[in-house]
Amino acid sequence: MLNSQGELIEASDQFAQRATLTLVESAKRGDRQAYQQLYQQHVGKVYSLCLRLTGDRALAEDATQEVFLQLWRKLDNYRGDSKFSTWLHSVTSHVCISYLRKQKGWIKRMFNIEDTEAMYEVAEASTSEVDLDAYIRRLPERARVVFVLHAVEGYRHEDIADMTGMAVGSSKAQFHRAKHLLQEWMGYEEH
Amino acid sequence: MKNTEFEKALAVQLEQLPREQQPERDLWPGIEHALNRQSHAPLEPTKRNGQYWGMAAAVAMVGMLSWFGVQQIGPDQDDLAARLSAQHQAQKQALLAKFTDQPALTENWQQQLKELDDAAMAIRKALENDPDNMAMLQMLQQVYQQQIDLIEKVHAPKWQQI
Repeated sequence: MLNSQGELIEASDQFAQRATLTLVESAKRGDRQAYQQLYQQHVGKVYSLCLRLTGDRALAEDATQEVFLQLWRKLDNYRGDSKFSTWLHSVTSHVCISYLRKQKGWIKRMFNIEDTEAMYEVAEASTSEVDLDAYIRRLPERARVVFVLHAVEGYRHEDIADMTGMAVGSSKAQFHRAKHLLQEWMGYEEH
Repeated sequence: MKNTEFEKALAVQLEQLPREQQPERDLWPGIEHALNRQSHAPLEPTKRNGQYWGMAAAVAMVGMLSWFGVQQIGPDQDDLAARLSAQHQAQKQALLAKFTDQPALTENWQQQLKELDDAAMAIRKALENDPDNMAMLQMLQQVYQQQIDLIEKVHAPKWQQI
């Protein structure tokens, strides 16, 4: 029974992947409606990652749009070697970080702002109700990006260093910083 | 001990993070609009208009539709850019006059203001060649807003108003 249920799920997954591939192929040929369907299927995942990386809803919305603009031009690069969602996840990480760096440079030049407003909000330590996403948004930018890429997305520090332009040691240090802040905010600080 | 507890709690929390979150507004119209513009644009104007165009493009791209509703773009785009500039100049001068006797928080704010002026000028020049370009009108609007924000920020920061 379980076996047949498992097979059913597998078959359903394969069908979904095939349907996605059909949409990708149509979009590659310039079919805008197919591309819109791809957008609808994946916008939740893309936005979620952008929100965690930017720590700001407005920036995440803009970055999500940027991802789908660039994706339209990059679709030909997708050869079907991996799942489309996996490939899109990688594209999202790269485009969003690139977007964030440009944005950061602009804002920093204009207003000398060091980090997002969220980190200045008062963090209430609590072990009973933890909203990890809210804590992640409060992290300083570099610590947040490294934490999201390493702890949430599973990238190695070497990959993060390539993506962000920071040294591997810096990536590790920022990850340690992020965890230290989270430990404090979640009420597990050593005294 | 607490370290171990934290590591366990963090692992649980990471496992429970939602894989998807929906944006609060529909992002597709902005994407579609930008794709339409891309397919109609004969050449990328980036290098032609210098570094400020690039800066503005990096900031605004197409996601800034909220700055300017589509319905606001009527048949007189030439006039719209001019009206926008005139309106902004009046607002800017009024703000500068208001803060004449108030010390600014940073020394280089006028240089920043000048940089934004240059960015606005580059966008206006680009608009002369492509007056219907809504994305550029949005950028212009945004640069003007940045100027207003800058003037207010350096003269009346929030922490002073508390």
